Amino acid sequence: MIDIDSYAYSNNLKTVHPAEKSVFTMMTMVVCLTATTVITPLIVLAIMAGGIVIKAGIPARVFVKLMLVPLSFLLISVLTIAFSVSTNPAGFWLAQTIHGLTVGIHYPDLITAVHLFLRSLGAVSCLYFLALTTPMTEIITVLHKLKVPVIITELMVLIYRFIFVFMETATTIRRAQLSRSGYVSMKSSFRSLSRLSSALLGKVFVKSQELYNALAARCYSGEIRVLTKKRPVSLRNYLMITGFEIPLILLNLLWR
Amino acid sequence: MIIMNQRMIKRISLLIAYVLAIYIVFPDNAYGMHIMEGFLPFNWAAFWWIAMIPFVIAGVRSIKKTVTLYPNLKMLLGMAGAFAFVLSALKIPSVTGSCSHPTGVGLGTILFGPAAMTVLGMIVLIFQALLLAHGGITTLGANTFSMGIVGPFVSYGIYRGLKKLGAPQWLSIFMAATLGDLMTYVTTSIQLGLAFPAASGGVMASVLKFMSIFAFTQIPLAISEGLLTVMVFNILTAYSQKELQVLTAFTGKALSSIKRGVKA
Repeated sequence: MIDIDSYAYSNNLKTVHPAEKSVFTMMTMVVCLTATTVITPLIVLAIMAGGIVIKAGIPARVFVKLMLVPLSFLLISVLTIAFSVSTNPAGFWLAQTIHGLTVGIHYPDLITAVHLFLRSLGAVSCLYFLALTTPMTEIITVLHKLKVPVIITELMVLIYRFIFVFMETATTIRRAQLSRSGYVSMKSSFRSLSRLSSALLGKVFVKSQELYNALAARCYSGEIRVLTKKRPVSLRNYLMITGFEIPLILLNLLWR
Repeated sequence: MIIMNQRMIKRISLLIAYVLAIYIVFPDNAYGMHIMEGFLPFNWAAFWWIAMIPFVIAGVRSIKKTVTLYPNLKMLLGMAGAFAFVLSALKIPSVTGSCSHPTGVGLGTILFGPAAMTVLGMIVLIFQALLLAHGGITTLGANTFSMGIVGPFVSYGIYRGLKKLGAPQWLSIFMAATLGDLMTYVTTSIQLGLAFPAASGGVMASVLKFMSIFAFTQIPLAISEGLLTVMVFNILTAYSQKELQVLTAFTGKALSSIKRGVKA
């Protein structure tokens, strides 16, 4: 039902230790964010695209489609940064004055906007590398090892499980409503959606009580213990990560 | 006369270009304002992460206290998080004709209280980043601050305040949900403005720019969400009194007053 999730379980890198993938993702992301050059984000984007498409075997079409998801936010925000409106026409690099109001681009703003555009694309590709190669359950294991409070990881396990249950219920209810013209007008859509939400919320109450009863019957004492799959730790991967990161960091430091 | 005409044509064509640009850039369906991955500079991303942590710790403490008293409520909280995620994936018709996705901030806050919402909001944002590609890991701090801290606390304050002033139930719910959403969007604009001050005019100019641009999607979204929340509560108060009573463990008085409101 959720594309990213199904690829996370079926890619070629799923047997790699989740900590290795997380370290690689987070380090590259930090390197990309602290980059002062335009080249680093482009290299990061290339490495991550290679990792996702060639190493993990995820179709390039899927990757490109995902890269387009945040594009609307990115374009709006970058254009907002680049353009400014002012009553004082001085200092603009490119401008159009209408009725004493000047709309235009300041040169430093333009540089910030271009940098930002590339940096965000690079960082997003890092996020996709982690999301597309690592199942959520393994990410939760990594968080648990990082000493994130148990209540948070446990809530995450519960939420992850029930997202799919409720998604299915919501889709079924919505289909039933659609087939009875539940969304023909604005008024009826609001009515249908509010009924859907409250029906779903009713299910939340019932199911959570049922789950608690089932757990209590199996000696639940306030903590849900889950078996995790052991993944082999590979020294080669850590060496490879350092091999990727050191040149990038050097590039960031030297190119000023 | 000819010059005037040319000016008019120029002005009209500029206006048309502006409107077209807006329609091309803005998607048909608007999500709540999540700052995308990598958009904030490293220092600001770290700042918002640090700013978020005390609130999350307070939230974890408050949840722990509730859960040790009523262990079955942990399941309820988990499912409420899943519900919020699913709700944000549904579409509501926005008042301007396009579609928007409810954030569930108002609904969740009135049901579970702001402290629990901070933790739930953060977890839902992690799932949205990793499963739906909305938001991100480095910007998780900033997004949690706007949607999990400012939004819920504003909603809750307005809800309680209006109830105390004796406003009708529907008005306090509507205002809580709408203003909660609006404050979320204002906070995000401030975060973006602080991180990217304009070359002329500085932070304030930049904040105003972001606010006026995102108002196109966020104000209709807030109003739609307010309407939806009121309708959901009407159904809940009519059919689910018993369940609402369970939730008083999280919010104390807030929900017992709902019951009184219905009886009156």
